[in-house]
Amino acid sequence: MAFTRRAFLAGTAALAAPAVLAQSHTAVRFALTPVFLDNDAAVISALQTALAEGMGRTVELVQRRTYQEITGALLDGSVDAAWTCGYPFLQHRSELVLLGVPVWNGQPLYQSYLIASSDDPAQSLSDLRGGTHAFSDPDSNSGYLVTASDLARMGQTPEMFFSRTIFTFGHRNVVRAVAGGLTRSGSVDGYVWEVLSRVEPDLTARTRIVARSEWLGFPPFVARSDRTSDPIVAACRSALLGLAGTPSGQVALSLLFLDGVAGTEASLFDGIAARMAAIGPEP
Amino acid sequence: MRDGAMRTGWFQSLPVTLRVPIVTAVLMIALGLVASQGVLTALRRVQDSRLVETARLHVEGLSVALGPFVLRQDVWEVYDILERARAASDGQRLLQTVVADAGGNVLAASDPTRAPVGSEMTRYEVDAVAPAAVTMTGDPVLRVASPLKYQGREVGRIVTELDVTDLLAERRRVTLWLLFGNAAATAVLAFAGWLAVARILRPVGTLVRAMDATEGVPRPIAEADIPRSDPGLARLIATYNRMTTAVEARAEAERRLAERERFVSLGRLSSSLAHEINNPLGGLLNAADTIVTYADRPEVVRESGNLMLRGLTHMRDVARAILDQNRLDRTGQPLRAVDFEDLRLLFEPEAISREQRLDWQITAGDATLAALPSAQVRQVTLNLLLNASEAAGTGGRVGLSVSNGADVLSILVDDTGPGLGPDHLARLLSSGPLPPGGGVGLRLAHDIVVGLNGRITHTRSDGATIIRVDLPAQVQV
Repeated sequence: MAFTRRAFLAGTAALAAPAVLAQSHTAVRFALTPVFLDNDAAVISALQTALAEGMGRTVELVQRRTYQEITGALLDGSVDAAWTCGYPFLQHRSELVLLGVPVWNGQPLYQSYLIASSDDPAQSLSDLRGGTHAFSDPDSNSGYLVTASDLARMGQTPEMFFSRTIFTFGHRNVVRAVAGGLTRSGSVDGYVWEVLSRVEPDLTARTRIVARSEWLGFPPFVARSDRTSDPIVAACRSALLGLAGTPSGQVALSLLFLDGVAGTEASLFDGIAARMAAIGPEP
Repeated sequence: MRDGAMRTGWFQSLPVTLRVPIVTAVLMIALGLVASQGVLTALRRVQDSRLVETARLHVEGLSVALGPFVLRQDVWEVYDILERARAASDGQRLLQTVVADAGGNVLAASDPTRAPVGSEMTRYEVDAVAPAAVTMTGDPVLRVASPLKYQGREVGRIVTELDVTDLLAERRRVTLWLLFGNAAATAVLAFAGWLAVARILRPVGTLVRAMDATEGVPRPIAEADIPRSDPGLARLIATYNRMTTAVEARAEAERRLAERERFVSLGRLSSSLAHEINNPLGGLLNAADTIVTYADRPEVVRESGNLMLRGLTHMRDVARAILDQNRLDRTGQPLRAVDFEDLRLLFEPEAISREQRLDWQITAGDATLAALPSAQVRQVTLNLLLNASEAAGTGGRVGLSVSNGADVLSILVDDTGPGLGPDHLARLLSSGPLPPGGGVGLRLAHDIVVGLNGRITHTRSDGATIIRVDLPAQVQV
C-alpha cells in the first residue's frame, strides 16, 4: 500500500518537474546524506519537488556516500545547503550555520540505537564485546559517535572492544548488516530504525534494540555561515521552515515521517558536543 | 563351461516360436539400455554445460564488481554486492557465495551466519572445483572456487555453492521415464514380435508336429495349411509331403516284399520239396505195380499197401506244411512244438540235398511257445535256416536249438559257413537303409524280431556262425 502510494507520488512529482524548471534557471544544489532512506527514490523526488516549489527555483539534489564528502562539498561551495548530521555540524561549527531542524514526533530530537540480531542475548553494550560491529559513518553521531563515546567512557575504543568494525555508510545498511548476520551488532539512527520498522518491518524484525541513547539534536539542515545573506540560502531556509505549510511539503514530510522543520539554536546539539568531548580531540 | 553348455542346451530345447521372441525381447532391452544411456549422457552434458555457464557468469560477473572492494577489504561493499546478487537470483541456483581476501580470510558471504567475517576460507573450499570443471556428481550442492582477479593480480578468492537439486530431480525423472518407457516399449515390441514370429512360424510348427506324429509314421500336411504367401516354406512343406508319400510307398513296398518273402522261402525250397514228393512217388509206383502183379498174395499186397500208406502220409504231411506256411500270417495261431516239426519237414530235404548234417534240438516248453505267434516265429526261423544252409555249403553242418528261459524264447541257428559279410550283418542287425542288391530275407527276420520286441545277436566262434534270437515270451498263467 505504502509502495503504491509512493509510486503515485513519484509520478506526480515527475509531472510537476517541468513547471518547476520554468520558474528559474539558477538551480539550487541541495546535498542529502545517506543518513536516512537513501534508496527511496520516491522520498527524494517528493523532497525535491517540495523544495523547488517552496523556493520557486529548480532544485538539484546531490547525493554523496559519506558525511565527509557532503561537508567537503558544502565548504567548497559545490552545494548551497545540506541535510547533514549534528556531529559534522559541530565539527565545523565556525564555518556552518543552521537552517532548521526536522521535527519528529513533536520534537527536534532523536536517539541512537545499539542493535543486535533478534536472537542475540546481549542486554547492553558490554555484552557485545569481541563481536563484529557495524557503524554507519565515522562522522555520524548516532551511527558512530554515540557508541564510540560510550566505549570511551568505558576506557575502550571500538577497535579494541570489537573484533572487527565496518562502516556501511548508511543507517539502513547497518540494519541490513545486523539483520543478515554480517555483524553481531550495529550503531544506528533511532529515527531511521523506527521509520524502517514501519516501511520494512521484515528487516527490522530480524534485529532488536539492545540500548537507546539519550535524546540528541536531530540531524539539521545547514549552510555555509558566510553565505547567510545569500538569497539562495535564505530561500532555502524559508522553504524548509515552510514545508509543513505547502501541500508538496506535507507530502514530502509524510513520506519522511516528519512533522515539519523548525528553527533552532546550536545549543540543541550540546549532548552531541558532550559526546565529542568524551572521545577527546580528533587526531 | 559345462554350465554354459547346459544353459545353451536348455535354451535350444525351447521351441523356436518361444526362442525368437525371447531373443527379440533381449535385443530390445539391450537397445533400450543403449538408447537410455545415450539420452542420459546427453542430458548430463546439457546439465553440465548449463552449470558451467551459470558458474562462469556468476563468478566472472562478481569478480568484476567485487575486485576493488576486495582489494580494499571493504566488508560492507562486498556483502552488499553479494546480497544484491543473491536477491537478483532469489530462489535459483546460487545458495551461498563466500569471498575471501588474499590472506584466505572471509571478507563476506551472502549468508554470513554460515560463513562469518574473518573465518578461514579453506573450510568452504572443500570439494570445490573451477567453474569450467563443474559437473554433476549426484551431490545436490556443488561448490565452485575461483581466484578473484583485479587489475591483473589475484586479490582474493570466491567460492559459490550451486543448488542442483532441480537438475538431479530432472535426471531422476528422465531416468524413470526412460525406464518405464523402455519397459513398456520392450514389452509391446516383444509381444508383437511374439505374435509376428508365432504367425510366421505357424507352418513350421505344423510341420514339426506332423513329423513328430505318433506311431512314427510321418503324416502329410493338409493343402489348406500350406502358407502360399511364403514360397520357401510352401516349397519345404511340399517337399515334406512328397517325402511322407515316399515313406508310405516304401512301407507298402516292404509290406508286399515281406508278403512275397514267404513264397520266396518256399520257392527256395521248391526243388528239394519236389524231390521230397518225387522220391516217394517211385516207391509208390513200385508198390502199386507189386499189388497189381501179386494181387493174389495178400501178405505182399498188405506190405505194399503199408508202404504206399507211409509214402502217401509223408506226402500229405509235406503238402500240409507247405499249405500251412502259405497260410501262416493269416491265422494268428500261437506257436506250438509241431510248428518246428513242420519246419523240419520243409527244411530237411534242403539240408539233405546239400549233404549237410542237421542238428535239431527243440527243448522249449509249450507254455513259452504259446506266448508267441506261430507265423512270425516260423518265418524268422525258416529264413535263418535257409540262410545258414546256403552259408554252410555242401557237406556242412546246420544246427537249430530252441530253448526257453524265464519269459524268453531263445532260437539259436548256427552253421559252419564262412560267416556273414557286412552287407548281410547290416540287413540282419540294423534298421538302417538296405544296402543295394541281395534279398530281403534277413531284413524281414530283423523287422519281425523288432516287431516282437526281441533281440538278435551275432557271434562267430570255432569256425561257426551263431545267430541268436531272443524273444520275450510273457507266459500267461
